[in-house]
Amino acid sequence: MTSPSTTDVIDTVLGLDRFPDLQALREQRAKLKQLSQTSYQAALRPTDPRNFSYALRAALAARMAALWKSQELSAHFRALLEREDEGSALASIADPGNGAEDADPRLQAILAHVDLVTLSPKEATRTNIEKLAAAGLDDRDIVTLAGLIAFVNYQVLVTAGLKMLRDN
Amino acid sequence: MSQAVHEFTVEALDWKPYVKPVDVETATTEQLDALKITPSNKKISDYVLVLANEPETLKERTPLFNDIMYSEGGLSRGGREIGALAASFVNRCIYCASVHAARYIQLEKRPEVVDEIYGSGLDANLPEFEQALFNFGVDLTAHPDNVGAYQFYHLREIGLDDLQILDLIHAVAIFGWANRLMHTLGEPHRLD
Repeated sequence: MTSPSTTDVIDTVLGLDRFPDLQALREQRAKLKQLSQTSYQAALRPTDPRNFSYALRAALAARMAALWKSQELSAHFRALLEREDEGSALASIADPGNGAEDADPRLQAILAHVDLVTLSPKEATRTNIEKLAAAGLDDRDIVTLAGLIAFVNYQVLVTAGLKMLRDN
Repeated sequence: MSQAVHEFTVEALDWKPYVKPVDVETATTEQLDALKITPSNKKISDYVLVLANEPETLKERTPLFNDIMYSEGGLSRGGREIGALAASFVNRCIYCASVHAARYIQLEKRPEVVDEIYGSGLDANLPEFEQALFNFGVDLTAHPDNVGAYQFYHLREIGLDDLQILDLIHAVAIFGWANRLMHTLGEPHRLD
């Protein structure tokens, strides 16, 4: 795949090459734009993916973007998923309508957490973390998952805000 | 054992994690490297030590957060704090709200704005400028799939230019991130 470090995902999904004024506006905040993209790399394609494969990360990201009806980002993450090894095996996860009832308990716990913390973070309590631990996630896994959820939601909000600027 | 706090406050709070913070004594080189760029020289908080479980992410996140909240020009510091507070209010991140309500008051010397938000919540009746910032923060946080012309014109009506709107978007969005860590990985307690 092309090196993500030279491509800005948000510019790409919003087609900002056709909106030079908005691209120039984003360049006024070049540092945070760059750090948003390196954060994408750290969340989706870290050097050591450990217990969360690149495919799983892309599938969960596609699911979160779809939960917020962010068509631009969900299409992006689905395409990323297709390019990852074993990506097709996880395609069903990208669809929020699918609770993966036939998935293993670890994946079921992950999906339940992703859905809750994306749409209703205020409802999350200690019990939700205990459920992840009971499903076999260690402390680092829990922080990894929280970080992925948090990053994708950030990207959804930035994309939604920029889309508002693009279209008005 | 101190009491967990479940109501909004401007009091300084403690934060107790549900998962184990990294022990600085046994931290890896990568973790120490990520921890070095935390914003202050104070003792490293348990929150940052929890995030250090994922050093590659933390290393990008710390400077990103600082640039969004503290960069020169554009939207005022207080304006960015209203965005942070609106997000934290919707997501019920009691700890985040307490910190950023206190910062707002410190910057703008207007405790009545925070009192009104804490007292009336989403029905808060604020001065025009603060109202528009707060409403945008609430809308983008609660319904990112539904921000458009309506929200945009309200921000223009109070005189925001494009850069100020961009700064507000980022301030709200970075708290969509922070709230999902702080509120889900631990809980606030009264200081002992």
